[in-house]
Amino acid sequence: MAYQLYRNTTLGNSLQESLDELIQGSLNTYRFCDNVWTFVLNDVEFREVTDLVKVDKVKIVACDGKNTGSNAPE
Amino acid sequence: MEQNNSLPPFPQGLASPPGAMTPGLPLFSPMMPYGTGLTPQPVQNTNSLSLLEEQQRQQQQQQQQQQQQAASQQQGGMVGASGQTPQLYHSQVSTTTALPGNTPVYTTPLTPMTPITPATPASESSGIVPQLQNIVSTVNLGCKLDLKTIALRARNAEYNPKRFAAVIMRIREPRTTALIFSSGKMVCTGAKSEEQSRLAARKYARVVQKLGFPAKFLDFKIQNMVGSCDVKFPIRLEGLVLTHQQFSSYEPELFPGLIYRMIKPRIVLLIFVSGKVVLTGAKVRAEIYEAFENIYPILKGFRKTT
Repeated sequence: MAYQLYRNTTLGNSLQESLDELIQGSLNTYRFCDNVWTFVLNDVEFREVTDLVKVDKVKIVACDGKNTGSNAPE
Repeated sequence: MEQNNSLPPFPQGLASPPGAMTPGLPLFSPMMPYGTGLTPQPVQNTNSLSLLEEQQRQQQQQQQQQQQQAASQQQGGMVGASGQTPQLYHSQVSTTTALPGNTPVYTTPLTPMTPITPATPASESSGIVPQLQNIVSTVNLGCKLDLKTIALRARNAEYNPKRFAAVIMRIREPRTTALIFSSGKMVCTGAKSEEQSRLAARKYARVVQKLGFPAKFLDFKIQNMVGSCDVKFPIRLEGLVLTHQQFSSYEPELFPGLIYRMIKPRIVLLIFVSGKVVLTGAKVRAEIYEAFENIYPILKGFRKTT
């Protein structure tokens, strides 16, 4: 699937999946550099069985590998 | 929609053209508007190549007339009216062969529109305008770029040098994606019009400029345009590939659409059973329109009747 993304970009016809997210959801910005993903989302609801947490802005930093991605809400 | 203007409007100055009073006037005289009065016969030969050659001749004659009467006609303008369907490029499938003894045009100079109506008006204009879906363009920013800096500081950027040696950046308005290379060259995709593509490329250049690089905007060029439309009737692709073998390739087990490689203009069309058509390979909008007007009468000939 990762290959699919880059096959599209080498053809210059990427699917703009991120932009579709931008339109539908609350993705403000995204970045991918040095194998690290950084997302900034707005107006997010974290829903668990009992709790509901709403935030205006959340920054997600996600790395590849054995360790799970770190989550740093602001 | 200017569906009635597929033929040049009857020039008022030629209500009684000097040569017109002579019966047996050769049809392709520049003084006579094309296709006036005499009943056109639909061409039986559906060979695309000869059709195209014929259309070229007809277009050339039409263009000659247009140039002579440019001032008095509504649509004297040739290419370049962006967003308008260039009526000049409508395929004139019907050849107007001179019928002996038929002189309606000479006797009705006061009702200029009447003689122009051909017997098969549907063949003059499809009335369908292909919509542009994607434009790919390139531009040179004219300076070397540090992609890592761009990826780290710009918003909405991706950079994975192990996979692909460019930064992939996106903007919302116009909704486009750019591939930015370290040489300073950039590819911009996803725009729906030429102006939008240029505007988007300028926005990306501005982003790069704001990051501190001496970005310029050199040699902007549109490389490819994709359009699509719907003829609104089902098509017999098998029949089409049989009669247009030299242009078509249809392998339903590989791909459900017929791939039609038109020679003039050099456009590739994907034609589907549903009647939807995709046109690609154009450098200018007019090529998309011209290709569709060329294919439409051919597709009508292969309409599914069941």
